[in-house]
Amino acid sequence: MPVFAVVSMLVFLALRVLPVDPAQMSLPPSATIEQVEAKRIEMGLTKPVWEQYAVWLGSAVRGDFGESAQYRMPTSTLVLQRLPATIELATCALAFAIVFGVAMGLLIFAARGTVLASAGMVVTSVIMALPDFLLALLFILLLGVLMPLFPVNGRLAPGLSVPDLTGFLLVDTLAAGEPRLFLNALSHMALPVLALGLAFSPAIIRVLHSSLVATYQQSYIRQARLRGLSDRSILFGQALKNAILPVVVLVGTQFGGLFGGTLLVELIFSYPGLGNLMLRAMQTVDLNVIMAVALIYCATTLIFNSLADAGVYLLNPRLRS
Amino acid sequence: MKQQNVLEISGLDVSLPTGDRILSGVDLAIGGGRILGVIGESGAGKSMIGACIADTLPDALAVSAGSIEFDGLPLGSMTRATRRDLLGRDIGFIPQEPMTALNPALTIGQQFGSHLARIGFRWPKERKERTIQLLEDVHLPRSRELLSHYPHQLSGGMLQRVLIAMAFASNPKLVVADEPTTALDVTIQARVAELIARMVETHGASVLFITHDLCLAADLCDEVAVLYAGRIVESGAAETIIGSPAHPYSRCLSLATPTLSGPPRPLLTLPGTMPSALERSVMAGCELAPRCPVAEMRCHTDKPLLASTTTGHRSACHFPERVSAIQAPAEEPQAAAREPGPDVVLRAEGLAKTYIARDWIGRMRRVEALRGLDFEVREGEFVGVVGESGSGKSTLTKLILGLEDVTTGRLDAAGFAGSDRSAATLRALRAQVQLVFQDPQSALNPRRSIGSLVTQSLEVRAERPSRAARSAIARDLLAKVLLPPDVIDRFPDQLSGGQKQRVNIARALCSNPRLLVADEIVSGLDVSVQAQILELLKALREEAAISLLLISHDLAVVRHICDRTVVMFRGEIVEQGPVEEVFGNPRHDYTRALVAAAQGGTSLRKTMSQSQ
Ligand SMILES: Nc1ncnc2c1ncn2[C@@H]1O[C@H](COP(=O)(O)OP(=O)(O)O)[C@@H](O)[C@H]1O
Ligand code: SF4
Ligand SMILES: [Mg+2]
Repeated sequence: MPVFAVVSMLVFLALRVLPVDPAQMSLPPSATIEQVEAKRIEMGLTKPVWEQYAVWLGSAVRGDFGESAQYRMPTSTLVLQRLPATIELATCALAFAIVFGVAMGLLIFAARGTVLASAGMVVTSVIMALPDFLLALLFILLLGVLMPLFPVNGRLAPGLSVPDLTGFLLVDTLAAGEPRLFLNALSHMALPVLALGLAFSPAIIRVLHSSLVATYQQSYIRQARLRGLSDRSILFGQALKNAILPVVVLVGTQFGGLFGGTLLVELIFSYPGLGNLMLRAMQTVDLNVIMAVALIYCATTLIFNSLADAGVYLLNPRLRS
Repeated sequence: MKQQNVLEISGLDVSLPTGDRILSGVDLAIGGGRILGVIGESGAGKSMIGACIADTLPDALAVSAGSIEFDGLPLGSMTRATRRDLLGRDIGFIPQEPMTALNPALTIGQQFGSHLARIGFRWPKERKERTIQLLEDVHLPRSRELLSHYPHQLSGGMLQRVLIAMAFASNPKLVVADEPTTALDVTIQARVAELIARMVETHGASVLFITHDLCLAADLCDEVAVLYAGRIVESGAAETIIGSPAHPYSRCLSLATPTLSGPPRPLLTLPGTMPSALERSVMAGCELAPRCPVAEMRCHTDKPLLASTTTGHRSACHFPERVSAIQAPAEEPQAAAREPGPDVVLRAEGLAKTYIARDWIGRMRRVEALRGLDFEVREGEFVGVVGESGSGKSTLTKLILGLEDVTTGRLDAAGFAGSDRSAATLRALRAQVQLVFQDPQSALNPRRSIGSLVTQSLEVRAERPSRAARSAIARDLLAKVLLPPDVIDRFPDQLSGGQKQRVNIARALCSNPRLLVADEIVSGLDVSVQAQILELLKALREEAAISLLLISHDLAVVRHICDRTVVMFRGEIVEQGPVEEVFGNPRHDYTRALVAAAQGGTSLRKTMSQSQ
């Protein structure tokens, strides 16, 4: 919580220092100086900055982030419209990164000492060198243009629509009993999810691999082998539960990066989520929207940090007693 | 037909890729239901024997000759999978470090369960009942509750019981126990050894019992084999290994071991160290020759082979009849009659220390680490502090060194009151009171030469001596701790554990301290190295009139070099007095338990002290 307060304050101050006048922004360009001045007073912009912050914070905690200058509607409504799309994207990407990363980490470890393992490590390093937006462009080129297997634009094919229930398309299409729409939504998500998830996975692969190597040096692994347990049950039954801890910490602390990555990836795929909203807001200096979205990014990071702490706590019995 | 041995190892060689041998020509045989002890100092290759049986040799090593037959079947001709399948089913293993041998993330019940599943118990309910019963067999109280406990919630002794129960769960033919009591608190070592003996009896298993402890092997085993530098130098009946050894090395080991009964005597010290695999490759004769007190020319040129002796043992020595001629050095007469000086170097009066601990939800808890301690150490006096782990010994050390505040009471060390903690006083105190750590490695910066390490404390002085003067002082100090002068330019990594511990002592002596606080300084060392350090400390007392506070869990060590002892139990002193009185006629129940545990309660140890 204190972290949250500090961050919100910093963002607020940074935006107030910008050489733009919110009052002028919210009025048509033809407005007179008097009109702008009156608006400034109405918006509280003549008060000291800390007082402005207090007022803003007071309404923010009630869920009121003011009005979007560009869209002329409450910022909160706007953000809530876009949020599910981004959450859906980030969650799927994370799930993909975890499944793919853990599987690859296990595979490379199980094949240790062979050519396969070295090849896996090289591939991992190559992916690691490619940022998410570059992977996105590559996928568009390969799977969208050269071999057009997947759509590269938006969340659904043009002309299709589903009743808006939760905002999560994968859920809404199923709820509407439309498997065809579900598949359509899924195929639209494929490339952005792949780009984001794949970019995140090398860290998981590496951390899991080196944590497995360290775990296998522990004497309880040696002792398990002396009890005749098979390689498989040593890996899954004994080692993994210990070796996964650093991965949980990694996911918790680095998820913010993946979430932030949606910004550019949404832009590239014209995906109507928070990222695109944020970019528009920045172009038009829509301060209230920038503020609200920035806080969501920050909150997500913090929430995942705490989730990781909780996960580690649950998985490590030594912390529990 | 001759009854088949459960394990028969013949001519076993384990080599490095360079051809240097870690084990050479090892022959061992264990009959059904028998316990064979393999005795040797660290690095002798004991654990490698177990690794050969389990097929878990380190990558760099390989069996290069010989065979291992298990239950009549040569292990060498089996596939890896078949050999693996024997483990845990026909061959059980008890590890050295119970604290790390169980998975910290799984409960006792889960780990035991997976073992039982592997050895054929199909149903969870059946596994659970069996686990409970097996845990009861090793005398673990409330075994049903233990199932849901994690390893960190159990003490080392309890964990070792769990591991013993696991090892015997499948009724294996053979159990390999690699130093199973070494990592345990003294008070429970004997009980765990007893438990193993009893399990062997009820399950009819044969045991390969690896240990560095001669007395323990004599107590527990039927036969013993003494391993030196990768070679078996003596084997025979366990009862006679201490009383009538047939090899000089076995004799030297037993004369180097301090005892708790019998007349006090100096320890025999073997010069030098065990040769490494590399050094052994170029030795034409007996590996012990450079250190052997009865060696002759022939020993340096001819390798002795294992041959039967008159005592019924097999010994690899050209002159087994000379063994009984090896005697501990005679006590110097003035040493026995020495009286401590009049000055008090360390005095504690009503000393107490209370820690405020917070648990994970932030609740405060007071931990009384020390309560009402009264004792003193006089000039030139050696005082031993004994007690099990957690009795407050380390807290006491911290208070003496001024690393922590005294809660109540008085503590005067070398004339400085423990309550005065100004920087100047602490600096003066540190010169007068020096600490030597348990781990010889940790205190030595690996990037500094031994010479500069020894005189490091002089570098911060205002009137700092010149480089040449410092190196002269270093040479002097190294000579005092009986290290060869050429170590002055070497680095810590190039020294053995015992040598490093001497460097630590030399370092502590550099500021001419009045009191040396030694925290378990010999507990990680082998008996022969331990004897060297103990005799060194005794010699220092004659020379430097230094006082020593020796913190140790080993009563025999304390008895050997200390004048008086202080017995601590749960933060209090329960008994103190001259060592012979306290250990010979303990009054407090706890002291009695300590003494009984240290003596193992057997007659064999008495034989040992009488024979010397
Ligand atoms: N991985 C390894 N590579 C090379 N030498 C090793 C390795 N592990 C152990 N050794 C050597 O094998 C010898 C015997 O070791 P070990 O069996 O552990 O002795 P012990 O159990 O008697 O203390 C030691 O001298 C050690 O240097
Ligand atoms: S052969 Fe010689 S050196 Fe070796 S133990 Fe016997 S007497 Fe000592
Ligand atoms: Mg060993």
